[in-house]
Amino acid sequence: MLTKKLKIGIVCPYGWDTPGGVQNHIRDLAEFLIAAGHDVSVLAPAIDEDKLPSYVVSAGKPISIPYNGAVARVLFGPIAYARVRQWISSGNFDLLHLHEPAIPSISLLACWAAEGPMVGTFHAAAKRQKVIFAIGPILEPAIEKLNARIAVSEAARLTLTDHLETDAVVIPNGIYAKRYAEGVAQEKWQGNTIGFIGRFEEPRKGLQVLVDALPIISRFAPDVRVLVAGPGDPKDVEKQIDPQLRKRFEFLGRISEEEKADFMSSISLYVAPNTGGESFGIILAEALAGGACVVASDIPAFDSLLGGGEFGALFESENSTDLAKVVIDLLRDDKKRKDLAAAGKARSELFDWDVVAEQIFSIYEMAIVGGEGVTLGSDNRSWNRFLSRDEEKK
Amino acid sequence: MRTWLTVGFFLLLALWYLSFSAARLDRLHHRVETSWANLDVLLQKRAAIALEIAHSDLADPASSMLLTGAAYQARDAEIKNRSMAESGLSGALGLLLSDGLAHATESEQALLQELSALTAKIRIAISIHTDAVSSTVMVRKKFVVRTFRLAGNAPLPVKYEFESDVL
Repeated sequence: MLTKKLKIGIVCPYGWDTPGGVQNHIRDLAEFLIAAGHDVSVLAPAIDEDKLPSYVVSAGKPISIPYNGAVARVLFGPIAYARVRQWISSGNFDLLHLHEPAIPSISLLACWAAEGPMVGTFHAAAKRQKVIFAIGPILEPAIEKLNARIAVSEAARLTLTDHLETDAVVIPNGIYAKRYAEGVAQEKWQGNTIGFIGRFEEPRKGLQVLVDALPIISRFAPDVRVLVAGPGDPKDVEKQIDPQLRKRFEFLGRISEEEKADFMSSISLYVAPNTGGESFGIILAEALAGGACVVASDIPAFDSLLGGGEFGALFESENSTDLAKVVIDLLRDDKKRKDLAAAGKARSELFDWDVVAEQIFSIYEMAIVGGEGVTLGSDNRSWNRFLSRDEEKK
Repeated sequence: MRTWLTVGFFLLLALWYLSFSAARLDRLHHRVETSWANLDVLLQKRAAIALEIAHSDLADPASSMLLTGAAYQARDAEIKNRSMAESGLSGALGLLLSDGLAHATESEQALLQELSALTAKIRIAISIHTDAVSSTVMVRKKFVVRTFRLAGNAPLPVKYEFESDVL
């Protein structure tokens, strides 16, 4: 554990107001660091500047662009760059922690502008794209300024080695495992229930696969219910569902963190039918910590999180028949389901913040060796130093 | 007039690129040095712990001798032979730990715990260092850097081939 109290600057590339894995990770990390006595400032794009927690500094309103199969709310441009520079120069940071410095947002701008101890965390996992051959040489000088790189999963690490030819240390995303373990089972969510949490309108979350599997599942388990939580309008999804099965679906809307813990403790199965674009699968770790038995598609991130099927069942991605088979098998076999859930719960302790933060701390410790704090790169260039000396003389 | 302006513009651009590359290379060299210094400190600490273990009751006289020898070798080795010496130390520690854990007292347990925490850190430090070295080597191979001798007299960084799985 770090004994010295540090001043840490964290940069979040996505809009703070929109829910997302990276934002949640940064919020939890910042709060954990503050609780440990460090001085933390988070720079993030934000729509509503009044609603920000005290440790977040707004960098301006985010711009929506399509990225990696979803809409990303990012921020760049000359005004944002000026704000980033101002934040760095007035912050007096010992260390900068940049999230997703390889996507066009303020993390990249900060990486470009700053000089000194920097750590980068890479969240995204993507297939090798041709466009990277064009972008690579531009990113390279910025990325190599990072003293240490963290990848949140093996999939993210492979993406990094493929795209930018640089290695990273794998440190998983953190969850507050205790908070989920303390969830209380709610009767309204118990029984033969299948849970799903996420922005179900996005195709890559794969709710459609579950919808397609339900006719088969309900034939073998007539009392099955599917509980869908998460923001979005259920009307479009409901149209897709067979009218006879429509009653089997319950849309709960957005649920709070406490409700989420209760939810995970109540349901029989948690199904994650995501079709891709997922790098870590924090929701699976949360489901495991809450004691739910998990069924997930066999995309690389989920496969490695579930230890190849040891801590939760896997089915072939986008294959609803296979999903139905796995679900029916588990709904019928109580012992098997409980064993899997127990193995999963033990697994989830690896992702607890106490464990994860310790690993991040040791990365910080190594990054700050030999550094004298973070400064703006341009202040150190010889001609600028020369010019500013002239000004001082006057 | 116009041609001269264009030529001047490209000349400035080339100069800027040279200065940019030199700054980049300088930063990489700095990173190699600091990451090595960091790794070196951790390895020295490990050798010290190994010596402490060698002098404790955990080690029988024979393995104590082996461990002491390996620890001193690791401390004195030149940078080029370092990885071999450290691997030797890892081997000696591994031999001892495989059968020494069962009958360890509390203070010895603490020592072993310190060792395993240190090992985890060393693993990270190695990956950070090798990464710095390989990006430096990559940049130094660039045409511009070689032709204009931007690296100056700085020696090519030594790649430290420390297999992290033997730790």
